[in-house]
Amino acid sequence: MTQQMRPSLDDPRVAIPAESQWYEPAPIPQTERQAEFLTLREGEMFVNMGPQHPSTHGVLRVIIKVNGEKVVDLDPVLGYLHRGVEKLCENADYHQAICYTDPLEYVASLFCEAAPVAAFEKLMDVEVPLRAQYIRVLTMELNRIASHTLFQGWMALDLGGITPILWAFIERDEIVDMLAALTGQKLLYNYYRIGGVNGDLNHEFMSRLGTWMSRAAAQIDSNLALINENEIFVRRTRGLGVLDAKTALKMGVTGPNLRASGVPYDLRRDRPYLVYPELEFDVPTRDEGDSLARYLVRMDEIKQSIRIIDQVLHEMPDGPVMAKLPRLLRPRPGRAFGAVEGPRGVYGTYAISDGTDQPFRMRIHDPSFVHLQLVGPLTKGNLIADTMAVMASLDPVMGGVDK
Amino acid sequence: MDRRLATLLQEKFGDRLLAPVRQRYDETEIRVALADSTDTLRTLHDDASLRFEMLIDLCGVDTGSEMQVVYHLSSSTSGDWLRIIVPGLDRTAPRIASATFMWPGAEWMEREAYDMFGIIFEGNRDLRRIYMPDDYRSFPLRKDFYLADDASRSPAAGVRNMERAGTPADATAATLLRKSPGV
Repeated sequence: MTQQMRPSLDDPRVAIPAESQWYEPAPIPQTERQAEFLTLREGEMFVNMGPQHPSTHGVLRVIIKVNGEKVVDLDPVLGYLHRGVEKLCENADYHQAICYTDPLEYVASLFCEAAPVAAFEKLMDVEVPLRAQYIRVLTMELNRIASHTLFQGWMALDLGGITPILWAFIERDEIVDMLAALTGQKLLYNYYRIGGVNGDLNHEFMSRLGTWMSRAAAQIDSNLALINENEIFVRRTRGLGVLDAKTALKMGVTGPNLRASGVPYDLRRDRPYLVYPELEFDVPTRDEGDSLARYLVRMDEIKQSIRIIDQVLHEMPDGPVMAKLPRLLRPRPGRAFGAVEGPRGVYGTYAISDGTDQPFRMRIHDPSFVHLQLVGPLTKGNLIADTMAVMASLDPVMGGVDK
Repeated sequence: MDRRLATLLQEKFGDRLLAPVRQRYDETEIRVALADSTDTLRTLHDDASLRFEMLIDLCGVDTGSEMQVVYHLSSSTSGDWLRIIVPGLDRTAPRIASATFMWPGAEWMEREAYDMFGIIFEGNRDLRRIYMPDDYRSFPLRKDFYLADDASRSPAAGVRNMERAGTPADATAATLLRKSPGV
């Protein structure tokens, strides 16, 4: 192809390539699904939701194809929060990589840390001291409660109720402050280390935890009473966005969303890690698979988490909180997949080591990413306003979706 | 470690496995050829004694000399976990059959692998970029895509332009510094 030239503005005798040619975008072929989505039939139109919309739990843009008030189809547009964490982790050493994974899901960041730490520990054959394992379980369950209480508030907010989120934040703030006393950070804790945790439990954390535990159950019950018996809430969510067990498994759904569809799959019980086999807890499930069931499963999980914390506090042994490890970690070449059961589902990290001090490949799997795919199938045929209710019940966090 | 699963997999797939079944901690790993990937996934999903009906993760891997696609499956009935590695995708034109015929939920994960590595999943009806802009040309997780400050790895190569579209013809000696350990 001959290049188009134009005379330089500085020296007319010099020819330089025309700019239009430099930046000529390549034609982007449409996929089958895009062609179908972008074809408008009689009475249909596109409505754009986001990227900045209070109901999208982060920065998500959803293109909704509507017919009157009914959703015909929708297409989420991702990438607004994409930071390239996987690439950054490949260029950081094993300790640094953990910090990068922390802000993925900012409401449950301990789980985002726990998954890579689990994978790295497998790569390095590290045995975590028993006390550190108990501390991890304790902090993770606290984080789970914080995440679920926040979910409760957001879900009510997305349905138009403002009061519950103010109450939800009371519980959540107390837990966040508690973890801040322990780790020094309110949101991005960066507390887990390969081979243990960064520092033992301190006095302030324990005294705050004791005070909170003495009234937590009653406080959470009163929060639940605020919503669970609210007729508007129940009637708007019951039977909305029904997900059956078979579809849920085909779509790769995990966590509370799967358990709300009647599949009792919980990594804490089915693929035990840390000290979960020694603890006693139930895996709450429901069969309805609608938005209300997804909400109620999470609320039941809060109670189980309090039960776990109670046992951990009674059974935690004394001892070291870090295994003895060299400063510079160079695991043997190998592959490992670390997974934990988070408040949204399975948080996984697939790490490949090539024997150097940096991971050769680090894949981060986030449950929100998978669950966001369901928003389209579950809202087709519903009202536009119900898109929020369905999305809120799936509880995606865009930091994790976009990585 | 679950020896029963290892023997079962050896029986079912025997000659189709490229390497012996590996087990470490609670993970089981098999390797199958590109041509067998669809049949293997279908057998793992449908076979009454295996029942791996959950796709936990799907990702691409660039080893520096070839592309791989890695599936992590789980069984909600037995709780077993399995990793399937499909090695040997051509780096210049990586193509593999899509897993969406079995798990519609794989669609976005395949879009992500396409976005990051350029792997074409045949049969995925919505294979377009998911994170990067539609007119973006590069595939950022390929090993020949450098970060701006990646010069620290090989100072002689200097600072390189991270927006450069990586093609194998561009590959310099510095590109090939970090190759897969062959695991």
